[in-house]
Formats: sequence, structure tokens, C-alpha cells
Amino acid sequence: MQHPDEGTIHAWLDGALSVEEAAAIEAHVKECPECATAVAEARGFIAASSRILTALDNAPRGVIPTARPRKRFDPLVWRIAASLLVVAAGTLVVVRNREAGGRADAAAADSLAPMRPGASASTVPVTSRVGSGQAVVPAPKVFDLPAQRQAAVAPKKVEDRLAPAVPAAPAAPATLAPMAMVPLASPAAGAAGAAARDRAFGAAPLRIVATPRRIGAKVTLYEVDGDTVTLTESGPPLESVVVTGLSARQATEKAAAQPKRMAAAAAPAAAPDTQERRVAPAPPAPAVVGGQAESNSLATINGQAMNVITWSDAKTGATLTLTGRIPSARLEQLKIRIERERAEAAARKEP
Amino acid sequence: MTDVERLFRTYNAALVRYLTRRLGDRDWAEEVAQETFVRALRQTSITNERAWLFAVATNLVRDEARKDSRRRKHLALLAEEERGAMVEPEETTLERAQEASMARKAVDALAERDRLALLMREEGLDYNEIAEALELSPGSVGTTLSRARRRLVESYESLQQDREAREKNAAS
Repeated sequence: MQHPDEGTIHAWLDGALSVEEAAAIEAHVKECPECATAVAEARGFIAASSRILTALDNAPRGVIPTARPRKRFDPLVWRIAASLLVVAAGTLVVVRNREAGGRADAAAADSLAPMRPGASASTVPVTSRVGSGQAVVPAPKVFDLPAQRQAAVAPKKVEDRLAPAVPAAPAAPATLAPMAMVPLASPAAGAAGAAARDRAFGAAPLRIVATPRRIGAKVTLYEVDGDTVTLTESGPPLESVVVTGLSARQATEKAAAQPKRMAAAAAPAAAPDTQERRVAPAPPAPAVVGGQAESNSLATINGQAMNVITWSDAKTGATLTLTGRIPSARLEQLKIRIERERAEAAARKEP
Repeated sequence: MTDVERLFRTYNAALVRYLTRRLGDRDWAEEVAQETFVRALRQTSITNERAWLFAVATNLVRDEARKDSRRRKHLALLAEEERGAMVEPEETTLERAQEASMARKAVDALAERDRLALLMREEGLDYNEIAEALELSPGSVGTTLSRARRRLVESYESLQQDREAREKNAAS
């Protein structure tokens, strides 16, 4: 047999030849030192080119810099969504005003109570607001309060009443009225600091970055303060109590297992305090409000300290978990916003 | 109709890798791969799936490159600039970045047919599939591959030597 050419050697090494051809080449290469060298060289080229090509797999995600999210909604879309929200909230006010109940609003106002330790200290004691039954004052009264106050300045439409809730809040006396407005307009009641933060946060809906699919759970990623916060919603309604308790306990254990420095690094001021308060077996009033059990803890994901809040939705019984690197106080604020948006979404669904 | 979900599960990873190596851009590669599967959806039957998919993907790249090569060239330049300023998602050592850049140059230096044949072979296509996808005779695939491999390795090694020489000069 004559010396096989380079192409045939490669074809042989790639297993592309017939059995007979392969056998013939094998026999020849054994006899021919020249071809044995050529085969060795070809093996080297095959291995080296594979290795070189592997280096290409780290290709950048190209033309668009990675730091920016790939697809963004037009700001116009957000503006439209925000206007729709205002209109929907306005409708809600009117509808709730007609009903004498206003239970959901009261509950939502209740849920706010534990979120603002600073606010409660400077305004009304938590117990009086949550427990005294002021919160379950019939809805018309609740909503009439801001209306009356504003009426002194100028008669306003419903939408107007909702929109400027933020500027109005810091000046407003520490009464129940702005609190009751919260689930519908903006979480601007109470402490001026919180109001300012929320103003910066914007009245627009939370920015949803992605909703990755996960079996058995609804996952939503929000962009907050330039960081990502994950909301996981899971659990069938009937099991929610069990699931909540379990997850709360797990969270406690997890938190206990964390090295101390982790806790200190992640949320220097807020976390250790609130954590104790919320997970303790016999907590003071704020821990379980309006049928909502919640837990607040630290966890680590990918080696980073994460704050975790778990609570269960009183209406659907779903277990909701908020996870993010932002301080837990911020997570609490976010929780309020999410609950508000959920309440609004539910209200839109069931007019 | 073709079972696109199965096709996707079976071939997407290889196709995206092939296209990423060919294009040097993961986003673009994923786009082209998706378009390829969309085309497969319209197909009533495909005899050799892998060869068909790689051929269609290759043609899409070719068509697109022809259609807006100027725009792409401009974007590629911008991307190159960005790459300098960009923080890599994973920690890339300088060494690895240099290897990637030399590999890119060496692959770009190949003739298009040699490059495609080699990239397809790396994704496990056999000689008949490569011949079908690139409209070559099966007998010439070995020659094409041997040439592609030799040239790739040789130009990579020469780039490596240049770099070493430069580093030596810089050090002295």
C-alpha cells in the first residue's frame, strides 16, 4: 500500500473510513515509520485544535454589555401602567366606599404596623392601632378623613386624592387616615424618612426583571436599589399553615447556623433585632397580624449573605418568600408594596 | 410536522456552541439557533436532522452576514471596545483572555469552509453529515479537516510565539 495522505489519516483517526480501509491503514502505519510520524502529528493537530476551539466557548455575551438588562420596557409602558394603577386604585376606593366592610384595607393597614418600628414609636402605639379596632372602622369613615382634610384646601377628584398622598403624608398628623390610604396609594404614611425613601422608590409598579419558571412555585425577580430581590410564591392553600411554620423554623435554624460575622455584615442594624422579634415563639403583637405569620432571617446563597422574609398570604394561603441582599427593613417595605400590588391585582380580577 | 421540542433538546447546546465559536458572540449565536429551530418547525420532514440543522444555521449566518455585514462590522467594533471596559461575568484570568483572543484570531484566519467543517466536526457531526451540510463530497472532508486543523494550530502557535516575544521584549 502506498502512503496514505494527510486527509486519509485524519479520516482514519476520525473513524470515518470503512472497516477494510481502516485495517489497511493500520497495517501500513505499523510497518512505516514515516506514516507513524504523520499519524502522531495528526493526532496532535486534532487534540490541539479541539483545545484551541474550547477557548472560544467563553465568548462574551456580545454586543450588549452584560451589566445592563437585555430587554427593557419602554418608560412609556411604565407610565401607562402607572396611570392604569392609579385609575384602578381610584375605582377600588369608590367600590370599597360603597361596601360597608373594608376588611381587606383594614387588614392591609394592619400588615403595615410591624413594618415601621420607627413610625410606630413616633406616631401611635402599635397596639392601639392594630388591636383597638380602629382599623376596622367602616371604610367610608376611613377614607373620608383625608377627603375632609383636603376638602379644606380645595375640592379634589378621587385620583387627585390618591396621587399626592406622598407629599401630604409628612405634614399629616399621626392618625389612622394616612395608614388606611396606604394599600391604595403609597406607603408614605408615618415616618418622614420612610416617605422620602418611598418617594424615591417611585409610585410606579415594582420593576420586574424576570419571572423564571419553577415547578410548584411562582418566582418573580424585582429590581430594587440596583439589586435583585426574589419573590417566591408557593404552597397549596390547605398546607400553608404547615409550610409557613416549617419554613419559619428552618429559617431560624439557618440563621442560627450562620456565623455571627455574616449576620453582622449583612444587616448591621435591622436584622438581628427584627429576626429575634419575628421568629420568637411567643412574639409581641406585630409577629402575627391579620392572620399573617411571617419570619425574617438571614441566609446565604452563593456565599452571599441574603435577607429572607417569609409570610403567608391571608387570602390565598400561599407562602411568600422574599430574598435579597438589601437590608431586611427594605425588604419589609418591599413586602408592603408587593402586598398592595397583589391586593390591587386581586381587586381587578374580582370586581 | 417535525418534533421541534425534541430537536431543540437534542441539538440546541451543540448548535449554540458551534455558532458561538463561529460568530464569537453568544447572544447572536442563540438568536441564530432559535431561528434555525423555527425553520425546522416549517419543515415537513428532515432526513438527517443534525446535518440539516447545521446547514440551515450556517446559511442563516451567511445570509445575515451578507445582508448587513456593515452594520455587524460596526457593532463588532463597538463590542470590541466594550469588551475592554466590560466586567466579565466570570473571573477570567489574563491568561485565559489572551488564549481566547488568540483562538479567535486563529479561527478567523481559516477559510470559511475549513472553519465550518472543523467546527461541525467538533460538535460530533460525522463526515457524511459535514459533507451534506456544506455540500462537499464525503471524500474531501478528511482533506478539508486535516487542512483546517493544521492551519488552526499553526497560526495559533505563531500568535503564541509573537506574544512570548513581545513579553520578553517588555521584560528586558
